[in-house]
Amino acid sequence: MTSNETRETSAPADSAPAAPRWAAALSGLEYKQLVGADGMATLEVAREQLHALLAALKRAGFAQCTLVSAVDHYPKAPRFALTHQLLSLEHNERIRVRCWLREGDEHAPSCADLWPGANWSERECFDMFGIRFDAHPDLRRLLLPQGYDHHPLRKEFPHAGIEPDRLYRQWDKQRRAGWNAEEGATR
Amino acid sequence: MGSLDQSGLRTKSDGGLRPVSDGPMAADASGSGFFATRADWLVNWGRKNSLWPMPLGLSCCGIELMAMIGPKFDLARFGAEAARFTPRQCDLLIVAGTLTWKMATAARTIYDQMPDPKWVIAMGVCSSSGGMYDSYAVVQGIDSIMPVDVYVPGCPPRPDAVIEREAPLAKLVGAGGPERDERGTGKLIFQPNHGIARGVLDKHPHDPKGKLGLGDPLPRKTEIK
Repeated sequence: MTSNETRETSAPADSAPAAPRWAAALSGLEYKQLVGADGMATLEVAREQLHALLAALKRAGFAQCTLVSAVDHYPKAPRFALTHQLLSLEHNERIRVRCWLREGDEHAPSCADLWPGANWSERECFDMFGIRFDAHPDLRRLLLPQGYDHHPLRKEFPHAGIEPDRLYRQWDKQRRAGWNAEEGATR
Repeated sequence: MGSLDQSGLRTKSDGGLRPVSDGPMAADASGSGFFATRADWLVNWGRKNSLWPMPLGLSCCGIELMAMIGPKFDLARFGAEAARFTPRQCDLLIVAGTLTWKMATAARTIYDQMPDPKWVIAMGVCSSSGGMYDSYAVVQGIDSIMPVDVYVPGCPPRPDAVIEREAPLAKLVGAGGPERDERGTGKLIFQPNHGIARGVLDKHPHDPKGKLGLGDPLPRKTEIK
């Protein structure tokens, strides 16, 4: 994370702001608190504690999971920044949770058990970045055709695609084979 | 509206509405109450004035398509207002909008289900050439998956632009249409994307691979035969 995007909250002790409302709910969890460039509170957490942190935040009133997505920071390592954004309508608060994932080891716990709406967000994230969500109830591609080989939002993916018509040509070949079989049967 | 008059019949200067002279037999023009013509001319004349469109509205062009059929632009003037939402009752496929590769199988199935003879309008730049979506997800012109008779440029084209392009299509239909085999593939009147090598897509100038130093293209995980 570059410095112009986030800064750590290192306020001097004498002017320490009041602890945020949800801080008590997160006691016992290891996380780093940052402030995003947009002023949104951001928590960086290790993958092992991600699900526990999200569950604690939900108990603290964040009833909506508005976004599950990722950012590819290639060629940095760790490469993927998995991002959850939560909303509490009750307290008029938003919070962002970021979890860094290494290339070749890009999997994270699913939070579809906490927010059912995260199901499709995680499917889209898997579709676009290839990040696998453990214990997800139905981890299939959401937008691209089933059987597509690549994850287009990864940096190494060419914009125009890699043989974008490959699946269509496979389907077309089977279709024509079906015609030929029909013609053979009728003759 | 080109050379179409309000009734949808072609004007005399354009060679239409002359069944007598088009037919193999000259009619008795003395007013004896009959005229002679060729049966296929009569069938084609009926077809071109009663095209039944299958609207395949895929994106914003679909809105213009609705306006075209609606009362303001009134496609009924040309007999083509009977949009049917099953391809089995249609003879004109209007592909209006961005066709993705995921949708391409469905679009081709719709085309296959239409009974012969059938015609295709590629409405808008997206269906004509991929338009601004030079992307991994978008078909770069629907003529890579089905024959196209008429292309309508515009993003989206105005309804009257599409109606104007119906005039050459009607001429085509009236002439018996392009020769196609029973699978619906055959001669096309115009196919701009025809002949582009498939490999071109793999060497796109925006490909960041050079910048990232990744070298060879990504390995294909499954081989096609």
